[in-house]
Parts: sequence; C-alpha cells; structure tokens
Amino acid sequence: MDGLEILIFLFLLILGYFSGTYFEKRHYKSIRERERKTLHVPMVTFGAKQSLPEAQDAQLFVGSVVISVDYFKMISATLRNLVGGRVMVYESLLDRGRREALLRMKEEAMAWGANQIMNVRLETAAIGGRSGNNSGPGSVEVIAYGTGIR
Amino acid sequence: MFIRYKQPKKPPEGNVIKHSPLLNFAYLLGTVVIISAVIFVALGFFADWLAVRISPETERKIGDMLFHTISDEEIVDDKRIQYLEELLESLPESGETTRLPLTIHLIKSDVVNAAIMAGGHVFIHTALLEAVESENELAFVLAHELGHFQNHDPTKSLGRSLVFLVASMALGIGTSESGGVPDIVFRTGELTSLSYSRKQERAADLYGLSRAINRYGHGSHSLDFFKRLEEEEQEQGRLLKVSQYFSTHPLSKDRIVILNKAAAEKGWKMEGDAKPLPEWLHCPNMEECEPDAEE
Repeated sequence: MDGLEILIFLFLLILGYFSGTYFEKRHYKSIRERERKTLHVPMVTFGAKQSLPEAQDAQLFVGSVVISVDYFKMISATLRNLVGGRVMVYESLLDRGRREALLRMKEEAMAWGANQIMNVRLETAAIGGRSGNNSGPGSVEVIAYGTGIR
Repeated sequence: MFIRYKQPKKPPEGNVIKHSPLLNFAYLLGTVVIISAVIFVALGFFADWLAVRISPETERKIGDMLFHTISDEEIVDDKRIQYLEELLESLPESGETTRLPLTIHLIKSDVVNAAIMAGGHVFIHTALLEAVESENELAFVLAHELGHFQNHDPTKSLGRSLVFLVASMALGIGTSESGGVPDIVFRTGELTSLSYSRKQERAADLYGLSRAINRYGHGSHSLDFFKRLEEEEQEQGRLLKVSQYFSTHPLSKDRIVILNKAAAEKGWKMEGDAKPLPEWLHCPNMEECEPDAEE
C-alpha cells in the first residue's frame, strides 16, 4: 500500500513537472509574441482621479484568466513553505497570469478600436487549493480591467 | 498636464528569476529531509529518555487510556486467564520486580498474536493458545513480552509514535480529512502497535530465553513455536492469517541462530523435556470441548 502511494506520488510529480514545463514554455512563447504585436497601443494606470484625455468613446474592458498549479509546483511550494524564501515556481505562474489577463483585455479593446487603455487595474483571486478543507492543487485567477478610449 | 507615452522597443519581461525548477526542488527536498531527519532522531532519543523516566502511575494512566481505544473482543472471567497470569508471574527471577502489576487480556481472535502495551496490558489471542504445543513455548512468548515491558519498550514506542504523529501533523500529512482530536487518538492507538526495533526484539528474545531457562532449567522446546510458525509461513506464503505475529515480531532466521549462539556462550542448557500444556487450554474455561466446535 505504501509502495503504491509512493508510486502514485512519483508519477504525479513527474507528470506535473513535464506537462507543467511544456505548457509554461508554450504559454510564454505565445505571450511574448502577442505582446510584441500589441505593443503600439499604450496601456497605462493613469486616470483614477484625473480626467481622461479627449476622446469620442470610452468603454470598460476586462481580461481574466485562470491558471492551475501543477503537482510539481505544488509540492515544490509546500517544501518552500517549510523552509521559507521566494516561491519561484509560483512567481512564474502569477507572471503568466498577469500578462495573459492584460493581453486578453488589450486584444479585446484593440478589436473595438481603442487607441489607448487608461486606468488599468489588476486583481487576483485564489480558487480552491490549500484554503479550507480542499487540499488539492489550486488555481489562481488574474483579472485585468481598464478603460479603452477611441 | 501632458504625459507622453513612449513606446518601449520590446515588451517588459517582468521580474521573474530564471531558475531551474528541478535544482530548486532538489535543494528544497534535501534541506527539508535532512532537517526533519535530524529533528526526528533527536526527538526520538528524547522520547526514549523520557519513556524510562515516567512514573509507573503515569504509565498506568496512559496504558488505561490507550486500552480503552482497543475494541477487540475480550474474554473475561475465564480460567485460562488465571493460568496465564500464574505462568507470567512465575517467569521473573527471584528478586526481580515489575514496576506495575501485569494484566492479561485474553482476546478472542483466530489470528495468532501476543503483544504488550504501555501500562502492563498483555494481550494474548486465543489462536496463540491453539498454536502452542508445550508450556515452554508459551512461557517463552510471555517472557518475550515481559522482556519488552522490563526494557520500557512499549512506552518508548509510544513516545516515538507521538513524535512521529506530531511531526506528521506539523507537515500537514494525515490530518487532511477529519482532523482534530478523535483522529489523533485513533492514530496514536494504531501506532502503538508499531513493531519494535530489531535491537529491542533481540534484547526481549534474550530475556525471554533466560527466563524460560530460569523456570524450566533448560531452553529446549522454547523456540519450537517460532520454528514451526516460520516453516508454516514459508510453506503457505504470506497470505496465511497466522503471519500477523511476525508483522509485530519480525522474525528473521538469524533470530533463532543468535539465541542459540548466546545460549552456547553463556553455557545455558538447551536440552530437556517439554512440559505439556493443560489439556484443554484451547477451550473456554479449560473445560473439555470439541476440537473444532470450541468457542
């Protein structure tokens, strides 16, 4: 029984490592490509208590993404919790989430015809995971929203 | 107010450190394993140190508490208990005392087993009484358990289990679902049956044999029970129910060899006649019964 549990654990760990690395690489490739394509449209946090620049239209755009932790990252982070320090495996996860959410918002705004996106804000939320009784792998949601003007 | 947006040449990359997840993982795993091993071993020694020093009254209280968590079917008010208690009491050398009075608990079970728990609770399964063929064999099994008790093995094992439990709780293993106190009690009870270390087994073996010789004047037949069980186990494989005795008392071939060698070194007499068991030991109250219809 113990042997089987260890085998399942190792299997999940290896699966998590390889699939997690593969998806992360692919995701980063797509993020970099799309960021280059959308670079010409300014995206700024300006606008909270200031008036927006002169424009015809303004509209709210939201981009949200949910990314799951893989088993390898989860175990790695659990070990890190015991030792302390930067949880680097999760940093890349959140970085991906943040950039993907911004991209989704920006792409939508650009399709609408926005020439600027003002007052951009970011939020995160944890889904499942270690909070409460659910101890399975968790996910993180990153939401980006801003005002597109044209 | 004019702010000019200057388009960067390439998108900002964020501040995620480039690192090798595998190396990072290996480093973490190594650190955690080494530190917890050191803590575990240190706490284990502390538990051993403490186990020998707790007062018999405290041990009795702990033993009683644990005893109530065991739900096996106990036979009370049986003449066999009296017989076993007398046999057990005859084993210590003259002048040797036990720190607590020992209590025999006869458990109705078809699994051959015997065990001792903190607080001097000795468990004898009825199947053991059917499996032994002479009093010498039974005396050795009882003396072996007595040896564990005299060496404080049950409390040491309990202390180590508690250390293990606390450590695993700290790591969040094994508390995932129900959690809380009932889980802890259940697990502690479960862990008290953990086998003793090889060293503890050897010491108990030696003690057992010396007390058997003390009683019968020779060590012959005392080890027959082991030999027979081992042969049976080898013949019929591990599926045999009987094998539980070995899961709590791991028997390697060299256990008997070591005992024989020790006996030869100390000049113990290893030849002699077996003392027969009471005729109806396998029947309730030792009253005559049908071989298969008993209990």
